[in-house]
Amino acid sequence: MKNTKHVALILALLPLASQAQERYMTRNGHIAFFSATPMENIEANNHKVTSVWDATTGAMQFAVLIKAFEFEKALMQEHFNENYMESTTYPKAEFKGKLAGVNPDQLKKAGTFEVTVTGDLTIHGVTKPATAKGKVTVDASGAISAASDFIVKPEDHGIKIPGMVRKNIAEEITVKVRLSYDKM
Amino acid sequence: MLYVGLTLAAVAGGYALLEYSRGVKGADDLKVAASVNADQLLGDFNTDEAAAMAKYVGTTEQAVQVTGTIRSMGPTGDGKVTVVLETGDALAGIACEFAETDVPVDWRSGATVTVRGICTGLLMDVVLVRCSAVV
Repeated sequence: MKNTKHVALILALLPLASQAQERYMTRNGHIAFFSATPMENIEANNHKVTSVWDATTGAMQFAVLIKAFEFEKALMQEHFNENYMESTTYPKAEFKGKLAGVNPDQLKKAGTFEVTVTGDLTIHGVTKPATAKGKVTVDASGAISAASDFIVKPEDHGIKIPGMVRKNIAEEITVKVRLSYDKM
Repeated sequence: MLYVGLTLAAVAGGYALLEYSRGVKGADDLKVAASVNADQLLGDFNTDEAAAMAKYVGTTEQAVQVTGTIRSMGPTGDGKVTVVLETGDALAGIACEFAETDVPVDWRSGATVTVRGICTGLLMDVVLVRCSAVV
């Protein structure tokens, strides 16, 4: 294996590897956010979420590239990258934490499990503790997926919205994460 | 005077509406900042990520043209297809996201192809979005 920075996500879980038998990963997860105000609704999607989950220990991470978010309108995308997220300075957002509520034995047959994810969410270079409810689903074919909807407040992460467009952007942004995992 | 004022207001309003409605550009509409093979692109990110970000991602949107061999390709939801190019590193590739309709029908794993896309950075793979095939 080459000595590359991209394996940092896996390396973060390696100390647990001796006991970890049930590790899952995706590089094509989906994250979307929604801002709803009377002025306008804004939605952006990113289908290149990378996530690793060790079901034995619960350790979980996901990371996204900010410039991979896609908007319907160019102006929204430009403001998002240049004015709010400052994506040249802060190109990634990530979450590191633990997922509780399901164990490896439960993943051996079909079912849906209510879970709680707790950890640190870093956006715009600002790390804040975060907790979210979610679901882990094992379908009839054994495929494992995870879903969670949660709220992020831009001001919690030092994201400043100019007064001129304050009414166009919600104070609470709804974030939806959908991850279809493959076994590592 | 009133006529001039109204005309100017209409022009300004029209411009604002056009600007507000402007769609997101695809890679074909942007200047190509660099042409590179897949191994080198990953290598540049691994050698100096900050320098690679400056060169391939840039501060404003630009396109990058990458040549490589298709390792895998498949749908990733919402009408998107991801084509992954070999890099010589089993753990990392160049992940190129296309609209489903933009992937040539004759592309298969093992084929050598050239992709034009917007480089967004490195996670486990180097990620390119809004890609098009260079044929």
